[in-house]
Amino acid sequence: MQVCHFSQGENIMDKDIADFALNYAQGKKVDYAEVRAHTENQEGLVIKNGILDAYVAAVDDGFCVRVLADGGIGFASTNKWTRDEAKTIVDMAIKFAKMAKRKDKITFAEEKSVRITWKADEKKKLANVPSETRIETMLEIDKDLASHGINVPARMLNLGSNLAEKYFVNSEGSVISSYVPRINAYAFITVVENGKPEQAYKTFGYAGGWEALDEWKIREQMISQAKVLQRVIKEAKAVNPSKMDLICGPEVTGIAAHESCGHPMEADRILGREMSQAGRSFIYPGGPFWVGTTIGSEAVTVVDDPTVKNSYGYYEYDDEGIKARRRYMYKKGVINEFLHNRETAARLKAQSNGSSRAINYDREAIVRMSNTFVEPGDFSEEEIFEDVKQGVYMKSFTEWNIDDKRFNQRYVGREAYWIENGELKHPIARPVIETTTKIFWTAVDAVSKKIEYDAATCGKSDPMQGVPVYTGGPILRLRGVYVK
Amino acid sequence: MSEALSKTEAIVKKGKALGADEVLANTTFGRYRQTRFSNNEVDITAAWNDYVTDVALSWQKRFVATQIHNFEKIDETMKRLYRLAKVSKENPMYGGIAKGKFKYDKSKADKSLENLEDQADYVFQAIEAARKEAGRDLNAGGILFTKLEDVYLASSEGPTGEDCRSAIEFSIRAFSQREASGHGVECSSTIKGFDPARAGRKAGEIAKMARNPKEGVEGRYDVIFDPLFAGALSGMWGGMTSAFAVMIQRSIFVNKLGQKVASDAVTMRDIPASYSMSNRVFDDEGTPVKENVLIDKGVLKTYVHNTSTAKIFKTETTGNAGLVFPNPWNLELDAGDMSKDEMFKDVKRGLYLTNTWYTRFQNYATGDFSTIPRDGMFLIENGEIKQSWKDVRISDNALRMLNNIAGISKERQHVHWWIEADPPSLSPYIFMKDVQITRPK
Repeated sequence: MQVCHFSQGENIMDKDIADFALNYAQGKKVDYAEVRAHTENQEGLVIKNGILDAYVAAVDDGFCVRVLADGGIGFASTNKWTRDEAKTIVDMAIKFAKMAKRKDKITFAEEKSVRITWKADEKKKLANVPSETRIETMLEIDKDLASHGINVPARMLNLGSNLAEKYFVNSEGSVISSYVPRINAYAFITVVENGKPEQAYKTFGYAGGWEALDEWKIREQMISQAKVLQRVIKEAKAVNPSKMDLICGPEVTGIAAHESCGHPMEADRILGREMSQAGRSFIYPGGPFWVGTTIGSEAVTVVDDPTVKNSYGYYEYDDEGIKARRRYMYKKGVINEFLHNRETAARLKAQSNGSSRAINYDREAIVRMSNTFVEPGDFSEEEIFEDVKQGVYMKSFTEWNIDDKRFNQRYVGREAYWIENGELKHPIARPVIETTTKIFWTAVDAVSKKIEYDAATCGKSDPMQGVPVYTGGPILRLRGVYVK
Repeated sequence: MSEALSKTEAIVKKGKALGADEVLANTTFGRYRQTRFSNNEVDITAAWNDYVTDVALSWQKRFVATQIHNFEKIDETMKRLYRLAKVSKENPMYGGIAKGKFKYDKSKADKSLENLEDQADYVFQAIEAARKEAGRDLNAGGILFTKLEDVYLASSEGPTGEDCRSAIEFSIRAFSQREASGHGVECSSTIKGFDPARAGRKAGEIAKMARNPKEGVEGRYDVIFDPLFAGALSGMWGGMTSAFAVMIQRSIFVNKLGQKVASDAVTMRDIPASYSMSNRVFDDEGTPVKENVLIDKGVLKTYVHNTSTAKIFKTETTGNAGLVFPNPWNLELDAGDMSKDEMFKDVKRGLYLTNTWYTRFQNYATGDFSTIPRDGMFLIENGEIKQSWKDVRISDNALRMLNNIAGISKERQHVHWWIEADPPSLSPYIFMKDVQITRPK
């Protein structure tokens, strides 16, 4: 029997070239220089309606140089590992930095240099999981999904892994080597009942090894989703639009935390650096919302924490070499701490809190979330429900979006139920909450004890950088919000 | 033959020698440059040099792919890829890659875009143009992007060719007040006639009109969409013509070939023409690209295909490979017979929406979705702009909206913006009846 371990391929990273590029840049007397090298060992498969459509496996590797000179930033990258190419990209980055002709000079917040090697825990090494096992595992899931008694005529299942090795050096003496294996899956299904289609999708993500498959339970989760969709088609009723209590499941809590807390608390947005793409923030210097302003009820504490072990957004040091830690963004309903990299921290007279991330060697590291979630509260789930006379339980969502200042948002329920006197009744067809950040977080009066996470890919920047994150939280109870 | 093409062919030969049925190799030497700016200053200029060969291989209907970054590693990588194919699973629906020898049009790429000098000056010109419209306090951000790709394609099935692809894009968002902004873009395949100041003027003009916005009011409105917004809508509709999207029901066009899917006013084509940022002479499997009419006077004529999806649908490839996902390259909505000004005059009470983002679906099969207008959004009364609005959302249905298109302007613009107005398109002003507007409560 043949066994294929594509991820045990060669590692092309040449740290000597990276060191050479840094030394060459330092010789040019720039204010700051860093070199970041990546080897991204990637595998992915696509199963479409029970058939393996394609299996793609490749090693992507290269390095970038970022310099600060004359108050401007220049960046250049390549995947050609030669000293001549290293000189070319350093020269290019320096030229670009000087070309900026900035009046308002960019500086970086002072930070300690670090020399460390770190890696993520990986129980069952992904590099040792043969391609056949990956294929068989997903085909079996698809087979069960197609044959469990509900009509699921369209199915797409993806499975991917990325073994990311990084080497970071800067002109302040930092030398950081890291290794983070990540695995992800994506399932998209269409259920048809009585000629009517309903759709659901779910992303799974994990920093670690093949043990992720045991935790995810993709088969059970997607079969459960299929049953939910069938029930929605057969039994769901529309909600009578009005103000009522709304209970949000962890998936809805998580997307709200990400969209209306995490994003507006990114300091680069607050300072306008993303104004043309992902947008700005309702929080800005001189505006009505700033650190110390109330944005929600006392029950609400929203954090971003890269250090959650095996989380999809896990890291120990960010892509500027800063130690990661938990950031309390909304603390007991009050705007508390922005997400910073060194550039935004200097501008707002703060310190970086380790929020700088790049998706690969050819992208600039910018301010990003990692794992954004609402901290658990004191309520049992029973207590949260028993006190609702009439309302909606929005367990999961389908369509969602938010404006580019992160204030006007909308979540549409995928799995949702009518609540009467604390008890779940019939399913509700796609209930909608379309409201503001302030109304949403102020309406929260109860937070459950148990927290759950969902994996997602967060998009930002130009060119787009999709970074792995968790969203999550406990069950929230919102009082008297408009649901339609 | 160039050295790069010869090395690309060597990859194909290696794959065949190993026992593969089909081998396709696509080498790209890409030079990409981008200047990003905000608050009227340059934040960063970046360059990416990318040297990559995308390799696809089939063996007994097993389809696998990889990338090679270093020609010295060809033997080792191809052996691994072939081994991967052998342990992979048969795809009984796999229809192969393009077969035959083709003659390709000559590329009209602009090689001067490799090292455009003084990128920052283009930025400053555009900011200045925007300021002339909206005043010195204007705050602008955006990007200047250039691309030059040398592409070398070799296939065991016949296609062999070289292409050069170039693009230049300028995008500017200008704020005259905290909640009053306008967005302009300038997109081309060549520096000739490229005028970032034109985008600056448009952004400034909209930003000025957008001052002192009022909260919008829910309801159904007739709407004029600016070409930038129309580009986002074209991308939404065009993306759903991908045969892959149809097969997994991420499309409103499932089982609708030959049927009326839009109003008579709508003819949509796909063509990566020489003017377009998506210019190319062949697709990713070496099929010559061509013009495809996707929707003809409201009737859905074809999905976009690669060779394999075309076989499943018992038709011919449209030259839109993507080896796994066929996709449109550059969408065009045919020009209508009314001018933009005539279009505005016809509106008794409606809206003019200039840009959008964050388009998300409840259900791709039915088309229920919402999207959030941004930048200038205006109430029109009796043909004139009466009020600037903010904080509204379109919550409607993609199929219904296609059918509600009542007019298309003579004027069209080549637009592309970030991931929203994507792929690039040649987009007009669109007049649409009865669009549902919602807002937060």
